[in-house]
Amino acid sequence: MNAPMKTRTIRTIAVALDCSPHSKASLEAAAKMAARLSAELVGIFVEDTNLLRMAGLPFTEEIRLYSSTTTKLDEAQLERLLRLQAREARELLERTAEALTVRHTFRVMRGMVPEQLMSAATEADILVLGRSGRSPSCRKGLGSTARTALCESKRTVLLMRPGFSSAAGPLLVLFDGSEGSRNALETALTTADPESTLHLVVIDPEPESAEKLEQEAQTIVGERGISVEYHHLPQVGGRDLVRYLRMIDSGLLVLSDRMNLPEEVFNELVSEIDSPVLVVR
Amino acid sequence: MPVPEKLSPSQLFNRCDPGQFTFETTAQLDGTTEIAGQQRAMEAIRFSMGIGHDGFNLFALGPSGTGKQSTVLHYLNRLAPDAPCPDDWCYVFNFEKPRHPKALRLPPGRACALGSDMDHLVETLFSVFPAAFSSEEYQSREKEINESFQERQGVAIEELEVNAREHDIALIRTPGGFAFAPIRKGEVIKPDDFMRLKEEERERIETEMVRLKDSLQSIMAQIPKWQRESIEKLKELNRDVAGFALKPLVGELRTKYAGFDEVMRYIDAIENDIIENFDQFLEREPSPQDMIMVGSGPSKPGPKGRFFIRYKVNVVIDNSHTNGAPVILEDKPASQNLIGDIEHTSQMGTLVTDFTLIKAGALHKANGGYLVLDARRLLLEPFAWEALKKAIRTRQIRIESLAQLYSMVSTISLEPEPIPLQVKVILIGERQLYYLLSTYDPDFNELFKVAADFEDDMDRNPENHIAYARMIGAMAMREKLRPFDRDAVSRIIEHGSRLAGDATKLTSNLQGICDLAHEADYHASQQGRTQVTADDIQAVIEAQIHRSSRIQERIREAMMRQTILIDTTSERVGQINGLAVYSLGDRSFGRPSRITARVRLGKGEVLDIEREVEMGGPIHSKGVLILSGFLGARYAAERPLSMSATLVFEQSYSGVEGDSASSAELYALLSAISEVPIRQWFAVTGSVNQYGEVQAIGGVNEKIEGFFDLCRERGLDGRQGVLIPVSNVSNLMLRSDVVKAVEEGKFSIWPIAHIDQGIELLTGVPAGEPAPDGSWPEGSINARISCRIEAMAKKLKEFESDEENGDKTKCSTEK
Repeated sequence: MNAPMKTRTIRTIAVALDCSPHSKASLEAAAKMAARLSAELVGIFVEDTNLLRMAGLPFTEEIRLYSSTTTKLDEAQLERLLRLQAREARELLERTAEALTVRHTFRVMRGMVPEQLMSAATEADILVLGRSGRSPSCRKGLGSTARTALCESKRTVLLMRPGFSSAAGPLLVLFDGSEGSRNALETALTTADPESTLHLVVIDPEPESAEKLEQEAQTIVGERGISVEYHHLPQVGGRDLVRYLRMIDSGLLVLSDRMNLPEEVFNELVSEIDSPVLVVR
Repeated sequence: MPVPEKLSPSQLFNRCDPGQFTFETTAQLDGTTEIAGQQRAMEAIRFSMGIGHDGFNLFALGPSGTGKQSTVLHYLNRLAPDAPCPDDWCYVFNFEKPRHPKALRLPPGRACALGSDMDHLVETLFSVFPAAFSSEEYQSREKEINESFQERQGVAIEELEVNAREHDIALIRTPGGFAFAPIRKGEVIKPDDFMRLKEEERERIETEMVRLKDSLQSIMAQIPKWQRESIEKLKELNRDVAGFALKPLVGELRTKYAGFDEVMRYIDAIENDIIENFDQFLEREPSPQDMIMVGSGPSKPGPKGRFFIRYKVNVVIDNSHTNGAPVILEDKPASQNLIGDIEHTSQMGTLVTDFTLIKAGALHKANGGYLVLDARRLLLEPFAWEALKKAIRTRQIRIESLAQLYSMVSTISLEPEPIPLQVKVILIGERQLYYLLSTYDPDFNELFKVAADFEDDMDRNPENHIAYARMIGAMAMREKLRPFDRDAVSRIIEHGSRLAGDATKLTSNLQGICDLAHEADYHASQQGRTQVTADDIQAVIEAQIHRSSRIQERIREAMMRQTILIDTTSERVGQINGLAVYSLGDRSFGRPSRITARVRLGKGEVLDIEREVEMGGPIHSKGVLILSGFLGARYAAERPLSMSATLVFEQSYSGVEGDSASSAELYALLSAISEVPIRQWFAVTGSVNQYGEVQAIGGVNEKIEGFFDLCRERGLDGRQGVLIPVSNVSNLMLRSDVVKAVEEGKFSIWPIAHIDQGIELLTGVPAGEPAPDGSWPEGSINARISCRIEAMAKKLKEFESDEENGDKTKCSTEK
């Protein structure tokens, strides 16, 4: 149990930018994390080939958001608009990063958004992106890109949503003694603000093992000086877990996909919870 | 008619016996004072203050210094504490009509409490509302409402998206909106791939996309409606949360102010307003453009934002410390000081106002009590008189900004709700003002039905002597003067009599008496005395006379140098010393004036030179006409008065008014006709009627003293004296040196009832009583006059017949 942890040192943080409110929250969280860990921030803007292809089709029309009128999609105009968005994203990145004196680079890629992001993420240690991007049905569930990132990315993924800050405020770490959960705790401790409260949520049905797990976690926390509160939760379904977590506090949820959680519980938890999620690989 | 006896020294001065007082000094008196000698005015005051009907306001009239104000205040200060204390008044924001602030009435002391309660409420809300709106319950409900909107929108689009996907079409977000595109394997189909599709397939896709586009458009058309519904829900939530948080606080206020309907309505309005504007309480500091400093004074506690002013309570009348009914003396009765004012404050160069800048006026302060005003000052203030009348007539105080009324300030102004008025107004002023207002202002008699007419003087009797003593004692105590011994008090009383110009009266000009007492106290201090004595009083009176005697002395000096001719030694025909009084400011003095009369043949007219040159006033002219009436009736009842006479005040360079010299003029005329000289060591005053009776005149003391001063300077020889009307004897309060000279036989005062007595005294020749046949005794003045007139009549007749004959001769010669 006391085996050395193999957590990855965070040197590069990639953040997906598309000018949506989610992506702004992502940028902010990523920049703050980069500042705290002295990491490099990589802003990624993907020019969606789907859009460009669509513009090439003879009959596609754009339905304007605020007037509900339709216009013919023009390829050149679309290119122009994408360039404009990219510039906006770059400026936003520069402003945010410079304010926190963070090293940063900006990359514009063209292709299918999830694919391009995944390929960019391979060069980074953490990929930060919004729970849902500019996808039309902006509901609380996960967007297509976020879902792809969760399924396919080998890197730690931080899914942000507006109205939350990953830096300050409480952290909720799911802990079940598995290696994945130890990694998650370690990453949480690395990225957390020293002022935040860490809610360590021990998930195990057995009361006696819960105490053991708590001691184990205590060892990992060690002398970090962060204030920790322990909570015990039974092994329940994703929705119930969300409800329990809401009762504890509202903040960044840190967990690993290599925990002993059933896959459907993991997926349900990640898509239902209305706070940011850091999935540690 | 026998010549009367000259007056004894005791008749010249009514001494006040210090022995009548039981005290040694005024320090032994208890310091209380009563209003003396103003029974009539006091009755009027009592009546006016007692009667509750409208319009029975009071006008206290009388000469200045008679203590009108102090009498009124003295009475009111005794009356007011027993009267009920009036209510408090405050102005509050009118939530329905912000330009019309509401007036609230509360029992004494409660208005300030309401103000503090409101401040406290606002202060509390700054902690209650943020707590309520940051609670987890609120946050989750708010999120739920937002989410439900998002979800509704999302579900609709998602359904469409799913429907589209079934037909291999994707809904894609473009930079400016949405678009549908056919997909293959999750990717938008490439244009050339699309073109390779069969035509039917392409048509199917295109038709499907048109359908989907229509569906999306109809969803998008619904979004604003959903958004409105969501906003409405959010508003309702906010109202619920704010109302729930506010309820206990407002409940406390409702319990506290139960029974005050107006206040309850105000609390209801404030509750609704706070709920509507709950968001104002979530932010502690207002943004800079909302900031306004109310006035330049110390900043008010609590929130300073202009918005929060609406929850303030402007207490215009606070009677928490008032004992009984208020008695307000407004020293500057300008319109805005009477009916209140709406002040403005400068904000970014613009004048702005709000209900907290409403200022109470004297009428507000006196509401339920008494308001005392100086009539002259009131009338001098522009618009103040009309404003006061309007308030009394309408029985309400309506604050109207003069600046606004006359467009001096063209900015947003307020029309505060009028406050009901229940007040007794007491105006204090001179008689002339009262009579002018009474004559020319039609409202005046309706609004000021009671007049308290203050006497100029009071009877001199032991009660009023002691009242004087008490008044002096109380003043000495109040103003920390030295005590006055009883001799000093007696001397003041004597002086009061002299100021009244009557030995049997005392002046009511208590201001003059107080001034004298102050001067005497100063004199005593200079003399190192611990008490004020009669010597101090005497010295002060003499000093007062000396200070104001420059002109008097200049005139006397001119007489001594014979620049002004006044003979006091010889006997002259048709020449007499009349006496005149000059008034300069509040002082007056007498001086002799030479009056001369010349007669000649004529047709019976007495020519008054003063009148001819328009230097004589109408009363003087009347006197001269009266004496010619006397002359004609007595000596020429049955024959023509065949003489003309001229009368003149010698060396008079200003006008002459009054008839007090008419007896002197008559003596001069009688002397001129009879050719009997008049003794110039006498001076004469008194008016005369058509029967030759000598009538009373004013300023007798000053006239006697004026002649006495000249004679003393030239040397008193025992012959000199003054003839005064017998009816003026009771007015004599002469200076001690005059009395002393009379005592020593160096000067005389003669009381004259009839012209015959006077002419006998002045000429040394008997006037003569008429015989039953109308003839006069041989050698008497009257006989001489009668003879002279007869002789003149004959001469005139002869002259006229000669003239007639001469004319005829002349005429016949010419023929």
